[in-house]
Amino acid sequence: MFGKLLLTCGLLVAAAGLGLAETEIGKSAPNFSLPDTAGKNVSLADFKGKYVVLEWYNPDCPFVGKHYKSGNMQTLQKEFTSKGVAWISIDSSAPGEQGNYPPNQLNAISARDGAARTALLLDPDGKVGRLYGAKTTPDMYIINPSGILVYKGAIDNKRSTDLADVKTATNYVKVALEEVMTGKPVSTVSTQPYGCSVKYSSN
Amino acid sequence: MVRCTKFREEDAPQSALNYLRLAMKTVSKEISSWISRGVYIVFGMLLLGQRPAVAQLYNGKELVKAVLISDVSAIQPGQKFRLGVLYNITPGWHIYWKYSGDSGIPTKIEWHLPQGFKADDLQWPLPLRDKEPGDLEVFDYTSEVLLFATVQAPDVLPPGPITIEAKTNWLVCQSLCVPGSAQLKLDLGSGSSSASNAVQLFDKYSAQVPKPLANGIQAQFNRNGKNLEINVSGVPNGEALDFYPFPPSDAEVGHVSRNGSKLSLSIESEAKPIDQIDGVLVVGSGDRREGYEVGGAGAVPSTAGNATTSTVNATTSAGFSAVLQALGFALIGGLILNVMPCVLPVISLKIFGFVSEAGERPQKAFWLSMAFALGILVCFAVLAFVVVLVRATGAEVGWGFQFQDARFIVSISCLVFAFALNLFGVYELSVSARATQGLAKLASGQGYGSAFFQGVFATILATPCTAPFLGTASAFAFAQPSWITFLVFMFVGLGMALPYLVLAVKPKWLRFLPRPGDWMVRFRQFMGFLLIGTLLWLVWILGQMKGVDAIVKLGAALLLISILAWIKGSFWTPVSSARSRILAAAAMCVAVLIAAGVYSFVTRPSQLVWQKFTKDSLEKALASGRPVFVDFTADWCLTCKTNERFAIDTPQVRKAFSKQNAILLRADWTNGDPEITEILKNHGRAGVPMYLVYPRGGKDDRPTLLPELITSQTVLDALNKS
Repeated sequence: MFGKLLLTCGLLVAAAGLGLAETEIGKSAPNFSLPDTAGKNVSLADFKGKYVVLEWYNPDCPFVGKHYKSGNMQTLQKEFTSKGVAWISIDSSAPGEQGNYPPNQLNAISARDGAARTALLLDPDGKVGRLYGAKTTPDMYIINPSGILVYKGAIDNKRSTDLADVKTATNYVKVALEEVMTGKPVSTVSTQPYGCSVKYSSN
Repeated sequence: MVRCTKFREEDAPQSALNYLRLAMKTVSKEISSWISRGVYIVFGMLLLGQRPAVAQLYNGKELVKAVLISDVSAIQPGQKFRLGVLYNITPGWHIYWKYSGDSGIPTKIEWHLPQGFKADDLQWPLPLRDKEPGDLEVFDYTSEVLLFATVQAPDVLPPGPITIEAKTNWLVCQSLCVPGSAQLKLDLGSGSSSASNAVQLFDKYSAQVPKPLANGIQAQFNRNGKNLEINVSGVPNGEALDFYPFPPSDAEVGHVSRNGSKLSLSIESEAKPIDQIDGVLVVGSGDRREGYEVGGAGAVPSTAGNATTSTVNATTSAGFSAVLQALGFALIGGLILNVMPCVLPVISLKIFGFVSEAGERPQKAFWLSMAFALGILVCFAVLAFVVVLVRATGAEVGWGFQFQDARFIVSISCLVFAFALNLFGVYELSVSARATQGLAKLASGQGYGSAFFQGVFATILATPCTAPFLGTASAFAFAQPSWITFLVFMFVGLGMALPYLVLAVKPKWLRFLPRPGDWMVRFRQFMGFLLIGTLLWLVWILGQMKGVDAIVKLGAALLLISILAWIKGSFWTPVSSARSRILAAAAMCVAVLIAAGVYSFVTRPSQLVWQKFTKDSLEKALASGRPVFVDFTADWCLTCKTNERFAIDTPQVRKAFSKQNAILLRADWTNGDPEITEILKNHGRAGVPMYLVYPRGGKDDRPTLLPELITSQTVLDALNKS
């Protein structure tokens, strides 16, 4: 009994010591609560019963720029939010790091880009980023209506900043959403994400 | 024009519709063979298309400077030398290893080597393992790194200076990232090679490239659940030990952790079960680090995601699937040859001959056919050999058998056009009966030997019909490597021989064979249009390369070829008299000489320097006090061009212009410039040509207006009036 307690404590300590947790495909996606650019708190649990896409976001990263400048990300957002998917972008850049902006400036950037996301959440201390193990921007996670993680990783298979690659790339997110929303199993569940590193605080 | 040959009546064909279907199928296959050949060649040319180098400045600073260097200053045939890109990185920033880690992208290099040069794998010096906030790990290079490869020069160097190009792109990061790319060039001479002063750089970074496991160090892989463990032996206790993985692009790995002599990393996702992984075992720390390559040699499954180098050679030689396609089309082409008037009637003849010779043993008919087919194949092998030989000798002499060479395109165009005229029936090619007499004797009689020579004989006799196709194929084959040429010709021969092989086994299928008739001739003529289509494509390529003028010149050459073809067809046939032939030869020589003369006269470069005419330039010219000659002309105005060639651009006028220090202004009305229209109206003219001569002394004097048709004298008189 005491030994088990000690073991559990030890494991918890070990887990806390890890910089990044890892979410697993097929397991429940961890719940979180973050403020959006209007200051309202938004939780993952609010979207239970819907498909949720988490998009790690940094407006100044050239890889994110590739998808926004080409209109690719906005098109995806429009297409799937109109199908009832909740598209949540999360900015985990720490204060003073690239991509960290005050909410009104982020709103202006979103308006300029014509983003059609459900919400843009601010994670300046990086706790949700670390919770999910988000490594790069963009890093994509797809959660099904029961809260299970069904895809994590890169947005597509052309690891570059070249806008021309968007058209010829296989978009893993689009494919996975189309598959899972029509009841098919996801063919590619996990890929290595590419992009700039998420600008966590260096402490 | 049609040669009469005896052929046996066979079972009536099933329907005319069958003929039509067969003809349509073969025609569409021919078309697509030419189109796909064109597509591959154009695609190959596009691959070589260079994009301009992108200068990336960040806050006014160039973060990465890349330069292409070699460890030799000149290249000798067959020599191995090192070629590399040296990156100079601003302090505080870094570019990435072939596996970038949790973020970033690997640096990429694409070599553009001249023909025959081959590069080995790119060598990567040992990178640094860097930690970024959020517990992200990357593998990168800071301050300076040289990524290089060993290159093998061919045994025959292309003529002229050797230019090597490379395209590289990278991602350079500090806390934020900036993508970058550069288009690099290096000129190397050929000749006595000597080490360049970059040798020390190559040696320095060569020493940093991980080597195969040595010094008694061993690494054993062991898959344990989610983790892949590496047990390392032979490393002294207390030494730092690390592993930099190079996972396949369809797998995701975690960070490496160490426990004594065991390293382990988690496999986050894998497409195929991983029980071993490529990477570098790193022993020691700081400057004393040693890297050892671990994993299978050549066990690097890289897809577009992780591919770090690619080599693009300066020829358009086909990729593997393209080769298969070409062979497929070669086979079909060979089959189509059987439809030609010189070939089709012979098939059933031969088959019946073999069947009756075989008599009781139908098997023998097949083997006789095999011997016949062998004869055909041997002919094609010889043809391929000749093409390869000509190409090799041509290469020695310095001919450029490449689609990048405008002269090659012009030659092929002329050849294709000449063959098209042959197909249309403007003239015929023939095989001299005397030359093949000896062969005819060998081919007579029974037995396998005779069958073989009959195959050779039949192929040679088919030349008048097959020459246009084989000739065109040979011309295109000059731009391909020898082995492709050889294979393609063998497959054409196989296609041609196929009916014999099939029909000897199943003589009953002879009834499916189209019955020879007038349609063969029409079909042959129609094939001529396909060659014209090919010509159109070649003309387009030439136009892209050299512009409209080159196309017009080619057109003139083709006109000459038409005339020669007509002379041959009308006056130099197997049935024309000796006198007729001699006259024909003379006529052809005269035609060529006239053409050459006209060509050199017309393309003589103009030695006059014209300035563009505008109201301002006229005023400035007049203000100088020099005499001014204004030529109002247009590209479509034949009179203007004739005047320019024969009246203005003549030695006497040129001398007068230079003696009087005249200013020459040209008003180009090709596109209908309204300013020029106004001036024409002012002088009472509705159009071009118009010539104004302003005498020396300025704008007070009114200009002399020359008539529309002028001679040199007219111009001289007008000039001398001032």
